[in-house]
Amino acid sequence: MPRLPRSEWYDLTRDMNWDLTYVTEDEAFPPQLSNSFGVPAESWWTWDEPYKITYSEYVHNQAGKDAGLFSVNNVVSRSKIFDNLDPGWKAAIIAHYGAIAVAEYQAGIGEARMARFGRAAAWRNMAMFGTLDETRHGQLQTYFPYQALNKEPRLDWAHKAYHTNEWGIIAARHLFDDMFTANDAVSMAIQLTYTFETGFTNLQFLGMAADAMKVGDIDFGALISSIQTDEARHAQQGEPTIKVLMKEGKVDIAQNLLDRMFWRAWKLFSLLTGLSMDYYTPLEHRTHSFKEFMTEFITKQFIDQFRDFGLEKPWYWDQLLNEMEWLHHAYHLGVYYWRPTAWWSPVAGAGPAEREWLEEKYPGWNASFGKYWDVMGENIRAGHPELTLPETFPMVCNACQIPVCTPAGYAAGYLDSPLPRILDFEGRRYTFCSEPCQWVFEQSPDQFKGHLSIIDRFLGGVIQPPTIEGALAYMGLSPEEMGQDGTNYAWAFEGHPAPAAERKVG
Amino acid sequence: MALFPVQGIVEGDFVIVLAPVDDTDPMTVVAEKIAYHGVGKRVAVRPGPLKVRWKGTILADDATIASTGCAPMDVLEVLQT
Repeated sequence: MPRLPRSEWYDLTRDMNWDLTYVTEDEAFPPQLSNSFGVPAESWWTWDEPYKITYSEYVHNQAGKDAGLFSVNNVVSRSKIFDNLDPGWKAAIIAHYGAIAVAEYQAGIGEARMARFGRAAAWRNMAMFGTLDETRHGQLQTYFPYQALNKEPRLDWAHKAYHTNEWGIIAARHLFDDMFTANDAVSMAIQLTYTFETGFTNLQFLGMAADAMKVGDIDFGALISSIQTDEARHAQQGEPTIKVLMKEGKVDIAQNLLDRMFWRAWKLFSLLTGLSMDYYTPLEHRTHSFKEFMTEFITKQFIDQFRDFGLEKPWYWDQLLNEMEWLHHAYHLGVYYWRPTAWWSPVAGAGPAEREWLEEKYPGWNASFGKYWDVMGENIRAGHPELTLPETFPMVCNACQIPVCTPAGYAAGYLDSPLPRILDFEGRRYTFCSEPCQWVFEQSPDQFKGHLSIIDRFLGGVIQPPTIEGALAYMGLSPEEMGQDGTNYAWAFEGHPAPAAERKVG
Repeated sequence: MALFPVQGIVEGDFVIVLAPVDDTDPMTVVAEKIAYHGVGKRVAVRPGPLKVRWKGTILADDATIASTGCAPMDVLEVLQT
């Protein structure tokens, strides 16, 4: 059978846009599932994806990717490569799998919603591929860690994490439910595919793949590279969606959707990627700091894209630049100090060489953040590692669900006050870590007001018994799963020689 | 006597902590209970008495949570003077 060139039939077969007669527009596209923001149906039909692919091409490409990827995994899973990885890198990938794998399945739900409720046939077609992509990513990122369970049982959290109430997962779930699991198709195209995937994860995955190869983790490197090629394609659903909104004069709506999700994405990105780049990746394999990465790829390249579409920097831009100086350093301290609440074992990354690097990348780090590690190091060397473990909980922001670290920003000279933002609303008190987090909440209070943070649950009697042990059990963490110091406190003794036999820690 | 949760900040620390105090506790005790979670653990110990600041005002050592009108989950700062 003769085959026509794709360009001669693609648009015809793709554009199955129907004039509705048996049902109303709202019945076919309920606003809760697909908010048109007042844009007429025919205007949405101009939606045109920048990257074209047919189903047969898609299947061919994906099969080839999987064949290569599973070959690598087959070989690596029988080798000693995982055993020999640096403890910091292990922390990074165990954290990654838990935070991301099941979220990819949830992203598949989001893509499927766009595949049904996207406002143009072309869009629905592309989202169908996105649904398959995200299903693939969920499967890959649960299967790869499953293959290494015999070497690291905590990799079980690739599947387990989202079925728990571990605090970081509450934060991730709160964000991702807002971004895709419970979002409407139009908002999702801007908030998931444009803001999060184009702005953050596409670039992050490129960086992580390169880092993995340098570290020698060819399994993870190949995995992430393969996933990134899918992301780069389906992330492009955002661009034509923004173009339609802009053409219809909906600039304020597009800007608002972007502003809300850019801030939210920044917070979780800072927690996950900030720690991986500046503390978990072995020093000799670091190519850039988290701040350098953010500056180059996010705040320069991504901002150019905003402007190409006629959008502007979010109103809180100066606050974002401010937090890039200090926030993830505080988060790292928090994750380390509250390490029993994590499913990975964080490394301190605060030995003399690491501190020198941090001081170079973040001038003033030793004075502003090194002082906390000084106190903890002294306690460890004095034989009191228990003083580096928690006996209460940090306050958690009612928007981002991450501990409130405003005192760190204040102590380091970046904030005018250490105080959190307090909102008393409809008889309930809410605490926020920043003005944009409060703004996110106030943009849609009915959406967020019923959610209980991990601290609200603790105080409200949901967590029983109301103790550290009770809370750890509530988070799904058994003693064997709780994070410990990833190097058994070796960092505290670097530059402070002490015979190993005399150490009273571990 | 009743358990009374507050948000505690130890001066110089990096994070706000949940601190359970008692509504009859004088500020000297409140300060110790909050400081317990930060001083000597993440923040270096400094000689000198601890003071509690609430809404920008240093509270008297013998004032209690109940007498000040402090509400649950208000933010109390502990200063190492």
